[in-house]
Amino acid sequence: MAMLGTMIADASAGAESRLRAQIATLERRLRKRDEQRRAMLHIMGDLNESNKRLANQRKAMLHILADYEQDRRRLARQTERLDNSRRAVLHILQDSHKDKSRLEASRKAMIHIMGDLRETTGEMQRREQELRDKQEQLVQAGKLATLGELTTGVAHELNNPLNNIGLFVGNAVDLIELAVTEKGQIVGELRHAMQQVSKATEIISHLRTFGRAAPVNREAISLREVIARALSLMREQLRLREIEVTVDLGPEEPLVVGNEIQLEQVFINLLTNARDAVAESPRKQIRIAAAAGSGVVEVTVADSGHGIPPGLERRIFDPFFTTKQVGKGTGLGLSITYGIINEHGGTISVVSPPGDGATFLIHLPLAPAGTKRASP
Amino acid sequence: MTPLSVLIVDDDPALLQALPQALRLRMGGVTVETADSATAALERIAAQDYDAIVTDIKMPGMDGLALLAEIRTRRPETPTLIITGHGENELAVHALRGGACDFIQKPIDRDYFVAALYRAIRAHVLNRRVKDRQQALACCAEELERVVQKLERENS
Repeated sequence: MAMLGTMIADASAGAESRLRAQIATLERRLRKRDEQRRAMLHIMGDLNESNKRLANQRKAMLHILADYEQDRRRLARQTERLDNSRRAVLHILQDSHKDKSRLEASRKAMIHIMGDLRETTGEMQRREQELRDKQEQLVQAGKLATLGELTTGVAHELNNPLNNIGLFVGNAVDLIELAVTEKGQIVGELRHAMQQVSKATEIISHLRTFGRAAPVNREAISLREVIARALSLMREQLRLREIEVTVDLGPEEPLVVGNEIQLEQVFINLLTNARDAVAESPRKQIRIAAAAGSGVVEVTVADSGHGIPPGLERRIFDPFFTTKQVGKGTGLGLSITYGIINEHGGTISVVSPPGDGATFLIHLPLAPAGTKRASP
Repeated sequence: MTPLSVLIVDDDPALLQALPQALRLRMGGVTVETADSATAALERIAAQDYDAIVTDIKMPGMDGLALLAEIRTRRPETPTLIITGHGENELAVHALRGGACDFIQKPIDRDYFVAALYRAIRAHVLNRRVKDRQQALACCAEELERVVQKLERENS
């Protein structure tokens, strides 16, 4: 029994220790489990946390996704719009291409037109030149017509100095043949002859200048001189017909820019007309007057003739219109006069109150102040 | 014999210088007077009887033809010569019909001119002489008539 007791004691001691060990183990395990549980709890808490975070993240994600979706849709719309735009651009491009080809065609057409235009311009210029040539020819023809009318008078004028030269030289020859020793007498005769020679030369050279087909150049010229030169060509004819000519050009020295010969022709034409107009009049008078105004000089050529029949004032400047008998006038004089005055930027008109003769009125622009006269 | 006197009428002063000188040189002892217009010429004609008158046909105012007509009425005896331009034959004929004794064309040929002038003057002088003779003859005839009548009375 001790033994047993021992044994039992032993056995109980053994069982106790084992139990204790078991308890310890269990306790350990419990602790461990507890730790584990706590750890688990921790983990659970963490997990929970994570889960919450995840849920938040998911929500965020959902938001983002929604945003993304929205963006995507927007993008899709934009893409679509872009696509539309692209197509529009394509269209436009196509159109522009078409436009470009149209433009090109237009450009080509334009070039054609320009070429045509250039040709036309060239043609116009040629025509214009032709016209100018024709006009110059007409002026020349008019001059020759005037010359023709002048010739008879001038031939007489020339005949006189030639006749005188013959007489003076003949006298000198006689004196020498008579063996007159006094030189003075012979020299006197020859001097007289020389004077007559220069008189004839003057007439001829003036006629030549007038008839020459000179280029029509413009320069500042003295109206006074132009009128004087025209009168010098007409003087003998006017004198023989006992036509009294009065010239009153005032104190000024009017300068006009123009062509001397052409303007001279104007006055020869007007004087010729006046000469014929007064042929049958009891009082044969021609008055030339001039007055310079501001920038314009007014010249009047008035005659004491029978005047212009009413209704003809407008027609007298028409080419080939004449009231003179066939063969007496070309009908060109006044039309050429009109043309010349026009070309000089002036005007010419006529007034003819019944029974009072005709008065031609010319307005010509004066040369700008300070213009120097061209040397004659 | 009294020296010959000639009147020259022209409106050209140079001609009035040249032509008288030519006449003086060619016709010894001739007196030449000048007038520069028809009216001036008529004044001179009224004052003096010329042996001949020479006038230009073309002059302002009264022309040579009109002057010729005046001369024909005032001095029908005086021979008048007309100067015409070259080729103005119609005018020359006009002048001759109007009583001019000759015409001279310009340019003036001096030999021709002097000859024509001499001829005119001679004709004038001869005319006058013929008239003088005629007058003398008429006188003689009258005288004879008277003598005849006287003789008849004595005889009867």
